[in-house]
Amino acid sequence: MKNVKRHSHSRQSFAVRYLFLFILFPFLITTIGCEKDKLYEVNEETLLPPNANKTKLKSDQQYIAILYANLFQTALSSDNLFEASECVQSIGDKDLVHEVLISNYMNKPSVILPTNEDMRADVDAFITETYNRFLVRNPTEAERQFFKNYIITHPNVRPELVYFSFALSNEYQYY
Amino acid sequence: MKRRGFIKKAATATAGAFVVPYILPSGRLFAATGVQLAQHVVMVMFAGGVRQQESVEQTYLAQSQGIPIEGNIMYNMLDGTAPTQKIVYGTDGNLAGDTPIPQILGSTIQQQGTLFREVRSSHAGHYGGMNALLQGNTLFSQGLRQKPINPTIFEYTRRHLGAPASKVWFVGNGIGNSTPLMNYSDHPDYGAEYGANFLAPNVTFGSQGMEHLSDAKIYHPEEELDPIYQMKYFLDNNFENIGGTIETIYNTEEEKQSIKLFMREMYNLGGNIAKPPVSDNGDLSTVGYAVEVMKWFKPTLTVVNLGAVDACHSDYTSYLKALHRADHAVGHIWNQIQQIPEMAGNTIMMVTPECGRNLTPNPIKDENDWLAFDHSDANTQRVFTQMVGPNVPANLVRGGIGNQVGETADNCPTIAEILGFKADVMGSGLISSTAQSLFDRI
Repeated sequence: MKNVKRHSHSRQSFAVRYLFLFILFPFLITTIGCEKDKLYEVNEETLLPPNANKTKLKSDQQYIAILYANLFQTALSSDNLFEASECVQSIGDKDLVHEVLISNYMNKPSVILPTNEDMRADVDAFITETYNRFLVRNPTEAERQFFKNYIITHPNVRPELVYFSFALSNEYQYY
Repeated sequence: MKRRGFIKKAATATAGAFVVPYILPSGRLFAATGVQLAQHVVMVMFAGGVRQQESVEQTYLAQSQGIPIEGNIMYNMLDGTAPTQKIVYGTDGNLAGDTPIPQILGSTIQQQGTLFREVRSSHAGHYGGMNALLQGNTLFSQGLRQKPINPTIFEYTRRHLGAPASKVWFVGNGIGNSTPLMNYSDHPDYGAEYGANFLAPNVTFGSQGMEHLSDAKIYHPEEELDPIYQMKYFLDNNFENIGGTIETIYNTEEEKQSIKLFMREMYNLGGNIAKPPVSDNGDLSTVGYAVEVMKWFKPTLTVVNLGAVDACHSDYTSYLKALHRADHAVGHIWNQIQQIPEMAGNTIMMVTPECGRNLTPNPIKDENDWLAFDHSDANTQRVFTQMVGPNVPANLVRGGIGNQVGETADNCPTIAEILGFKADVMGSGLISSTAQSLFDRI
């Protein structure tokens, strides 16, 4: 009796399995046949030059403090910072007073500048170091090429003049 | 056909050259067409809050301290005899301040020019008052430590007269509050590019300036400065491409060089400048440097700000001293102008306090037991204006107590009339509707 039951159950199971395959087969065929090519996309990003994120104008005190640190590799005392910022406020043409202030700093024996020989020995490294020091970024290839050509073709240009121009630039007045 | 076409185009281009207006570098169309009454104007924003009682009314201690002594302590500017008792405003002799400063003008500004005895000041405060003088407007929304909202007379002068930056100067008595901000406005049609050169000489050439600005390295113009500027301009162009700009009043490289030479000269003189005979306060020092600015640059417009009388908030005796010295300063400026060949006989000077002071004192007493005065009541609306120079009627007085003629906002259109661009200022729609040239009120 038991054997008859087992045999009957086995036949039912076989029939169910075939029925399942019969239903699944067309579905699988359809699904596999309709598989689309995967398309990978990237998010849209606006690419800006490396100086584009500088949108805030430095205050007089920020400008002087950073300038002093860049030129002397040490901090300006708070008393001197206060006095120097008063001097900057006392003249209406900011370009002019910055120029006068930098000229004064360049006249001090403690200003730290690379030698002309060092600059000309490795102009690339000098340019990168100057951009990093003053503008806190690397130069673009166009910028590097301009300064490289300029320094090589102007033998009278020395590090002091390059530093002066960076300290006077508009970008240096932003952060 | 080709020849005919060429002639047609050439004729059109020629006609266009005549018809299309010439745009000056300053941005204006055509040059100013008005007749100039003088080629130079000097405006003194006088003293820092002056009571009519001690100035044009010459009541000295009578209407301030209840002591019946009257007299004129401003005898370079005003007619009238000086007090004979309780002299405290001079230099120190046997007693503090007992020696009045001698008169330095042969005839008073009043005799040489026109005095508007009662002028309405629209503001009770210094910076509102100064803004009214400079903007020709009585904007009550103008905040402290804020750039002027409407264009200043500096910007009108540069834009409508085409004056370069080094011909327009604002010499301030310091850098406090709004003073260093008043050389140009935030107005979108004017602004920094038409601004004045501001100078606070007591700072620039004081101890701070000596420490931080006086030892500037001298660079060779072609060998050193040119490369610096070329590299800077390259960097600026790159930065400008992404919208980064800096406000500038556009001194040319030549003008900058001239200003640097002027500064060097001042440091070299070490204070031995064209100061008034007595020079014992900040205003007199400021005036000395203002005269040096005039000698060096021969400006079209010079505005000088004096402020020492504001000591009156807590020290009436110091107020009297400062007022006496401010008069001395004005006399000195007028004297010095006559010694500058380009400006002598060709300059009109205007003098107006930016605001008055209170009728009633505050409770603070000074060393003489005299009461001090603030500036907040109706008496602060009473000031005066003096004008002197070519085309200004001599020995003329307009207005009087109870009969105000003119307002502080008049100074802006008056300067515009002197320099020949009154129509531009009056038609700008940016000055007070009641402001008009003082020449129209004579």
